Amino acid sequence: MDWRALGVSLWLGFGTVLVLVPFGLWLGHTLASRQFRGKGLLEALVAVPLVLPPTVLGFYLLVAFGARSPLGEAFEAIAGQALAFSFPGLLLASAVASLPFAVQPIQRGFEAIPVEVREAAACCGMPPWRRFARIEVPLAWPGILTAVVLTFAHTLGEFGVILMVGGNIPGETRTLSIAIYDRMQAFDDRGAGLMAAVLLAVALLALTLTTVLGRRVGPRRG
Amino acid sequence: MQIWIAAAVMVASFAAGAGAPPQRAPIVAAAADLNPALAEIAAAFLRDERQRVELVFGSSGLLTRQLHDGAPFELFLSADESFVEQLADAGLTRDSGALYGIGRIVLFAPHGSPLKPEDGFDGLARLLDTGRMTRFAIANPEHAPYGRAAEAALRARGLWDRLQPRFVLGENAAQAAQFATTGNAVGGIIAYSLALSPALKPRGTYWLVPDTEHPPLGQRMVLLRRAGPVAERFYHYLQEPAARAILKQYGFTIPK
Amino acid sequence: MADRALTVTARQAAPIPLDVQFTCKPGEVLAIFGPSGSGKTTALRIIAGLYSPAHARVFCDGETWLDTSAGIMVAPHRRRVGFVFQDYALFPHLTAAGNVIAALGHRPRRERRARAHELLALVHLSDRHDRRPGVLSGGERQRVALARALARDPAVLLLDEPFAAVDRVVRRRLQEEIDEIRHVLDIPLVLVTHDFEDVVRLATHLLVLEHGRAVAQGPVENLTSRPDLAWLRDAIGLGSLFQATVIRVDSSRGLAELAFDGGTLVAPGHACGVGSRVRVRIPGREVILATTAPAGLSLHNVLQGTVTAVQFEEATDRAIVQLAVGGIRLLAEVTRDAVSQLGIVVGLPLHALIKSVSLEVLPTRGGHVT
Repeated sequence: MDWRALGVSLWLGFGTVLVLVPFGLWLGHTLASRQFRGKGLLEALVAVPLVLPPTVLGFYLLVAFGARSPLGEAFEAIAGQALAFSFPGLLLASAVASLPFAVQPIQRGFEAIPVEVREAAACCGMPPWRRFARIEVPLAWPGILTAVVLTFAHTLGEFGVILMVGGNIPGETRTLSIAIYDRMQAFDDRGAGLMAAVLLAVALLALTLTTVLGRRVGPRRG
Repeated sequence: MQIWIAAAVMVASFAAGAGAPPQRAPIVAAAADLNPALAEIAAAFLRDERQRVELVFGSSGLLTRQLHDGAPFELFLSADESFVEQLADAGLTRDSGALYGIGRIVLFAPHGSPLKPEDGFDGLARLLDTGRMTRFAIANPEHAPYGRAAEAALRARGLWDRLQPRFVLGENAAQAAQFATTGNAVGGIIAYSLALSPALKPRGTYWLVPDTEHPPLGQRMVLLRRAGPVAERFYHYLQEPAARAILKQYGFTIPK
Repeated sequence: MADRALTVTARQAAPIPLDVQFTCKPGEVLAIFGPSGSGKTTALRIIAGLYSPAHARVFCDGETWLDTSAGIMVAPHRRRVGFVFQDYALFPHLTAAGNVIAALGHRPRRERRARAHELLALVHLSDRHDRRPGVLSGGERQRVALARALARDPAVLLLDEPFAAVDRVVRRRLQEEIDEIRHVLDIPLVLVTHDFEDVVRLATHLLVLEHGRAVAQGPVENLTSRPDLAWLRDAIGLGSLFQATVIRVDSSRGLAELAFDGGTLVAPGHACGVGSRVRVRIPGREVILATTAPAGLSLHNVLQGTVTAVQFEEATDRAIVQLAVGGIRLLAEVTRDAVSQLGIVVGLPLHALIKSVSLEVLPTRGGHVT
C-alpha cells in the first residue's frame, strides 16, 4: 500500500473540489439563468472532457503547461518550478478534466428552481447576491452536493490525464490510480489489489453518500 | 462563509507549497527494465550513504519526452544511448553521461505455454507454422529500446513480418514483460533484467537471445542540469562495485 | 394624489404584441381581464421589471421605473412592488415567516421577525408561521404569498390570477380579505384574472386585453354594460352592473330592499346590513320588457326607463335593448320578434321586469363610487 499516493490522491481530490466548486457555482449559475450568444458552445466546452479521450486532454494540457508555453513560463517565473509534473499542474489538469462533473450537476440544480421563485426573490427586494445566497444556493443544494462528491470521486479515479501531465512522481504527482498501474508493472499484484480495493471503497462510499444525502435533501423542495 | 475562508486558505497553501523549493529526495527517472535492479541499488545506497532517492520508471522515450516538457528529474537512466544524446543536444544535461551497463533480451514463455523458449527462434517459427500462436508480447519499438532490440532480432530471423499480426505491444519493457507472463500471450521478448527478477523468475522459462542478433543495448545515464549533490552522488555510486554487482546479478553486462 | 398613481405605457410588435396604456390610482383596483395569451401577465411583469418591452414607460409613486426612450430601467429588486404570483412562488426551503422575512430586507434586522408575525396575523396565519409551504394548504400558501408581497411596503400591489388554484369557498374568503386589505393600504392594486367573478367582486376599473391590445378600459360599471364587447359578453353574459345601498332588510322574508340611482329593487339578501353598499348585477337575459305596467304578477321589481339604443345581433337573431333607468344603463336581451311586436324604438318608455332571484348582489366595502 502506497500511503503517499493515497495522500496525493486525497489532497488532489479536496483541492479539485475547492477550486472547482466555487467556479462551478459561478458558471453553473450563469448557464442556468442567462441567455447569451455562444452559450451552446460554452456548454459543449464544459462537457467535452466527458467524451474526449484523456490523452487528448493530456496532450493539450501538457502543451499548455510546457516550459516553453506562456502559462508554463509564467508559472515557472513565479513558483520557480515547472507546472508540468508538479502538484499545482496536476491540480489544474484535474480541475479541467473534472469540469463537467462540477458544472453540470450545479447547473441542473439551479435550472430546477422555478423561474417564478427567482423572480419572486427579486420582487421581494433581494439584491442579486442575496438571492443567490439565500434562495438559489439552498434550493440547488442537492445539485451542489452531487457536484462535490462526483468531482472528488472522479478526481480520485482520473488516470490518463494524470499519467500524461503528472509524470508519476512519488509524493507529488503519483496518485493512487497511477500507483496501481505502477505496482502492476512491478509485478506487485498484492499492492495493486489493495490500492484498487481502497479506490473502489472510496468510490462506493462517495456515491452512496450522494444518494442518501440527495434523498434527505429532496423532500424539502416543492 | 467558513467554507469560503477554508477554500481560500487551502488554495493559498497549495500556492505556497508550489512556491517554496521543497527539501526532498532527488527524483531518478529510469528505464522500466531497471525496475527491480534499481530499487535494490537505491536500498543499498540508502544503507551505505544514508541518502534517499525517488525512483520513477517508464519507457526511455516517454521519460525523455517528459524531460523535454520540464519534468523535475535530476538523473536519467536510459535503456539506450540515443535518448541521452538527444537530451544532451537539447542542452538539458550536464554532459554526455556514462554507460552503466549493456542490456540483453530473452525469449520468455510462461509455464504451460505452447512456446518452448529453450528451442530458441526455431521453436517460435515452428509454433507459427502450427497455427497455435495467439499473442506475442514485445515492448513498443517506437519508444522503448527493448522493443527495438526485439524488432532487430526478429527481423534478422525473418520472423518480424509473420509475427506482425500477433504482437501485443507493451508501453515499456516492464509492461511488455507483464503481457508476456500473465498467460494472455504465448510469451514474448523481454528484458533479461526483468526475467531475472524475483517476481518473474518463478513464472516461466526463458532463452537468452545471443547479443549478436541485435545491436547492443548500451544503457547510458546522465545527470540533468538541475541535479543536486545527492543525485550526483548516486550517479557515481552506480559506477561503484556495490551497484555494479547488483546490475550484473540482473543480467547487465558491465562496460569496461 | 396623482403622483402616487401607477401609470403604464407599453408598445411593441413582437415577440409579444402589446399596445396598452393605463393608470391606477391609490385605492383603485384595476383588473386586467382577457383570455389566456392576451398579454395580461406580461403587463404585470412589465410593472415589476421582470419584462421589458421595446417601448415602455412605468411611473409609480412619483418614481420612473422604466422609460425605454430615456434608457431608464430600474432593477426589479429596487422597485417597491408586492407581487403575488399565480402559483405563489413561495420559497420552499423557508418557513411561512421566513418567506415574509425574505421580503423585509429594507427594515432593521431586529424588527423583521415581529413584523413578519404581524403580517401573517393580518392574513390570519398566526398559527402557521413555522410551517414550510409544502405542508400548507392552497389557501394558506396564497396568504403567505400575500403577506410576503405586503412585507415590502409596496407602492403597488400586483396579483396574478390570485385565486386560480383555490376552491370556491376559499376563493370567496380570500377575495374578501384582499378587498379589506386594499382599503387599509391605499395603494394602486393591479389584478390579472380571467375569471369575471374576481372583477365583479374586487375591481373598480377594468382593462380588457385581446392579443396585447386594450379593447376596452374604464370603470367597471361602465364597461360591463357595454353591449358592443362581444367577447366580454361571451365570458360573463350580457348584463348591467351598478352600485346600490341597502335601505331595508326583511329577515323574516329573507329579502333586502336596495336603493340605486333609478329606483329601488328587492333582492334576496338577509346577510347585508342596512346602509351597506352592494354591487348589483342584472343579467340581460333575465330582463323582461313591457310597454304597460303589469298587474297580478309575483314580481317585486318593475323599473321604468327609456330606450336609448337598440342593437341587433347578426348571428343570433337577438336584439339588445338599452334602457336609461335613472342614472344607470339597463340592458335587456330579447328576440327580434319582440322588438317589432312591441315597436321598440329609441325614446320609447318601457317597463323592465326582473325576478328578485335573478339579481346578483355582491357586497363591497367602503364607499368607493365611480
